[in-house]
Amino acid sequence: MSGGGSPGRRAPGTAFLFLAPFFAIYAVFLVYPLFKGFWISLHDWELAGGYREYIGFLNYQDLWTDKLFWRTIRNTLLFVAMTVPTMTLLALMLALAVHGTGRLKAILRSVFFMSSVFSVTVVTLVWSMVLSADQGLLVPLWNALGIKPVNFLAHPLLAMPSIALATLWWGVGLPMALFLAALGQVPQELYEAAELDHASRWSVLRRITLPSIRHTLLLVVVLQIIGQFQIFGQAQLMTQGGPANRTRTLVQYIYDTGFRDWQVGYASAMAMALFLLMFGFSMLQLWLGRKGDDA
Amino acid sequence: MSTARRTGSARTTDIILLGLTVAFAILWMIPVVWVVTMSLKPNVELMRSTAGFIPWPFTIDNYFNLVKLATVPRWLMHSFIVAVSMTALVLIVSSLAGYAFARLDFPFKRTLFLIMIAGLMVPEQAVFIPLFTMFADWGMHNTHAALVAPRVAVPIGVFLMTQFFRAVPRELEEAAELDHASYFTIFWRIMLPLSVPALTTLGLFTFIFAWNDFLWPLVSATKAEMFTVTVGLASIQGNFAFSEGLGSVMASAVFASLPIVILFLIFQRFIVAGVAMGAGK
Amino acid sequence: MHHSKLLARLALATALTGVAGTASAVEISFFRFFGDCQTDYGTVMKAAEANGECGIITALANQFNAENTIGAKVVTQTVDWGAYYDQLTATYSTGNIPDVAVMHSSVLPNFSDRDLLVPLADGFAKVGIDTADFVPAALKNATTNDTLYALPYDLHALLFHVNVDLMAQAGFVNEDGSIKLPTSPEELISMGKEFKEKTGKFYIATESQSSEGMMVRLWESFMWQQGVDVLSADGKEASIATPEGEKAAALIKAIYDEGLANTALDYPGAEQAFLNGEAGILINGTWGVDNYDSQAKSGKAVLKNYAVANVPGIFGAPKVWADSHMWVMPKDEGRTPEETEAALAFIKFLNDNNFQWARTGHLSVRQSVIASPEFAALPHRSDFAATAENATALPVVQNQRGIFSAMTTDLNAMWLTGTEPADALAAMQESVDQILRRNR
Repeated sequence: MSGGGSPGRRAPGTAFLFLAPFFAIYAVFLVYPLFKGFWISLHDWELAGGYREYIGFLNYQDLWTDKLFWRTIRNTLLFVAMTVPTMTLLALMLALAVHGTGRLKAILRSVFFMSSVFSVTVVTLVWSMVLSADQGLLVPLWNALGIKPVNFLAHPLLAMPSIALATLWWGVGLPMALFLAALGQVPQELYEAAELDHASRWSVLRRITLPSIRHTLLLVVVLQIIGQFQIFGQAQLMTQGGPANRTRTLVQYIYDTGFRDWQVGYASAMAMALFLLMFGFSMLQLWLGRKGDDA
Repeated sequence: MSTARRTGSARTTDIILLGLTVAFAILWMIPVVWVVTMSLKPNVELMRSTAGFIPWPFTIDNYFNLVKLATVPRWLMHSFIVAVSMTALVLIVSSLAGYAFARLDFPFKRTLFLIMIAGLMVPEQAVFIPLFTMFADWGMHNTHAALVAPRVAVPIGVFLMTQFFRAVPRELEEAAELDHASYFTIFWRIMLPLSVPALTTLGLFTFIFAWNDFLWPLVSATKAEMFTVTVGLASIQGNFAFSEGLGSVMASAVFASLPIVILFLIFQRFIVAGVAMGAGK
Repeated sequence: MHHSKLLARLALATALTGVAGTASAVEISFFRFFGDCQTDYGTVMKAAEANGECGIITALANQFNAENTIGAKVVTQTVDWGAYYDQLTATYSTGNIPDVAVMHSSVLPNFSDRDLLVPLADGFAKVGIDTADFVPAALKNATTNDTLYALPYDLHALLFHVNVDLMAQAGFVNEDGSIKLPTSPEELISMGKEFKEKTGKFYIATESQSSEGMMVRLWESFMWQQGVDVLSADGKEASIATPEGEKAAALIKAIYDEGLANTALDYPGAEQAFLNGEAGILINGTWGVDNYDSQAKSGKAVLKNYAVANVPGIFGAPKVWADSHMWVMPKDEGRTPEETEAALAFIKFLNDNNFQWARTGHLSVRQSVIASPEFAALPHRSDFAATAENATALPVVQNQRGIFSAMTTDLNAMWLTGTEPADALAAMQESVDQILRRNR
């Protein structure tokens, strides 16, 4: 995983020229804003009107006692816990199902990938309609069964899974593609040997396929964690955080605090918390992954 | 004897699995079909019932009205400009850096690589407020540059390109090195042509990311003439829902998705094949 | 004099660029919610021919563009209601500050306290807007720290929209034709039950999801009816978790618990249910009157016999929640004198046509309009005339959007997740306190 160690030609000047574009943009639009964000978080800083006052770590103290903040953290973690394993598993299953040659499989690959090209506004519109208790896709079904239509997005327990469902539908294409790429790289000889051994499907999967793609698996999980932690659009557009804050996510709270209430300093403190949280989780993942490698 | 039977039962299992997958794929597409159906029905009919997959009574008016508005095509144009330029820049920047990390040796290589990778863990939300203030200070909001620039340095892109270049056999470059070709020539003439599959993958991911980007365009492009499709649609949905009706909303969603779906259908062979060939070989 | 100045500029511009004509129009960027209805009203040039908030404001802008003689052109940007103030705020950073924008009086202090709006008294005097014609309460709404920052355009309040046929079926129509409405919490529930029994429909329909907070407005009304102001005038304290608050919240919860209202309805859903004859009373604002009236008259809706009633005094005096739409000029260093002049001309045009806006159902804020025979002739106006006096607004306090949103989420939890009134109010109190702490 690391960049060191591989044999390369010693050419510092050229190398830095090659690296310059990336690191210049990286410094201006990522590193510097990160520090500036921290600086803003030490202020009572308003979005409009130019009011700013240094207040040290007061914003962080407020965060600590802010119930809604902890609630959004809990909601965000819940969402991550719902989506990451299911997304990874579904992506893997689909990749296994559509991996291979033939026209039909190519079409299937396209179908599962296609929902990823829609924008978040379209995806949430589609799913809000599908799940609507009033005009939804399932309403005729409920009526036929004589059940009162379930109002998924307003249901305290079902709202979050509904958002997760829409997210799965939207996002499974990319991890599936990564798994397909990895499956294509598994040496064919391994499978041939297994066939001679009369190994069952399950044991081929467990003993050959999964170990061969474990790096991709780790990559997918890390990317998913990073991606799902940042959930904003789906919750913002489908439930606006409701019912009763059950689906209010951290990023939504950051957005509301900064852009609705103009408390940019406080919002930045939350953003820092989000950063630390994600950083911690990703590190944990990588560490676990590496430990798995060593074993 | 056992081999033959095993093969037979394996084939049955294969067929059953494929059948299940096909069924699942149909289920997968139902919401899309339904939305398209609704977009082809009159608003009045949809008030009565949204059920069914046959657009009858049929109307094309919802689309007609959209085109008359002329804002949606403009949003599409912005989305394309942003997505295409972001994709091109990400590919250039990532492959350059990836080549350096994969093939060249220089001081602090390991440290720089770690710094780069660490960027993967900085969520955009941790920096979007400072970015917002920066672009405000520069007076650069409501421009294409503002929508693209913060998105060009993508650690995962560099990471993928590094991994890819590292897997390219050394021998391919050695001939050129004997000819005293410059590193840039080697990169440009040999490595880049070889990396078309990896570039396709990365380009595809970037394009989709750019197309779907929501939070940043939402705060940076506040002028209706500068909206991208994603932001514009969000604004139209609230507006239309009150005054125009469901059919129009659905038509706007379909209309805005059409270009990227068509693009996808054209390139899908390359995309899926490119991804399947993968970051390696 | 203005004309010659304009001509001189035009001549200069023409000389410099060699392009004549198109550059002459002064563009006024106009920021508003109320929806986008270009397809229906984009070509309607007379406001008198339009209907509903969206239609009338669209036609007003069209009419101004067609009729003004100073070469001004209003360019409208419609923003979704939910994102409107976020976008308006963002324009101060992103650079496209509008010349004229709509603003609620409840939001005004956020902008005026930070010096983000242009004081308008002088401009009004210059273009001839008579501030003495405004209802005093409206003028007060538009003023903070003794400075006039806005053109008040309406007063809007909560109303009971009534399906008379269903009421008659339930036996709730008096001999004189007036609607019998509850006068106490107990009566509301018992009448609701009786209504449900006799008609099989919901007694009440209203937006019950997390987005609009219609029930927060009702709850605030109930608080005023008991003599409690939810926010203190200095904006430092909130009286939410109080015995009065609990009484009001318990009644609202009971409405849902007894099945008198459908919890599943969002804003359009509630309107649809009412128009489809599925509910006796729709709790919604003044802005719906024109729309429901014309729908009922058109014969296309199931609702045939529509009436309006003031929100009754269930806990005492019939106070009711109100707010006000106003027009403001956001401060912009880059605005030219010509643009300012054009913007003021547009604001004056809007003021001159205040009656057109009042057709939506909103209460007019101009005494001359209220006194006019044409206003009296508008449908149903006598039914809710008292609302103008009952209307009560929160004190001029900052961050009311955050406060409203926090209260909405926590109050709605009573019927969406089954929270007890006391717990819901404790949560509301806590969220609101946290916001108020940050008010300066």
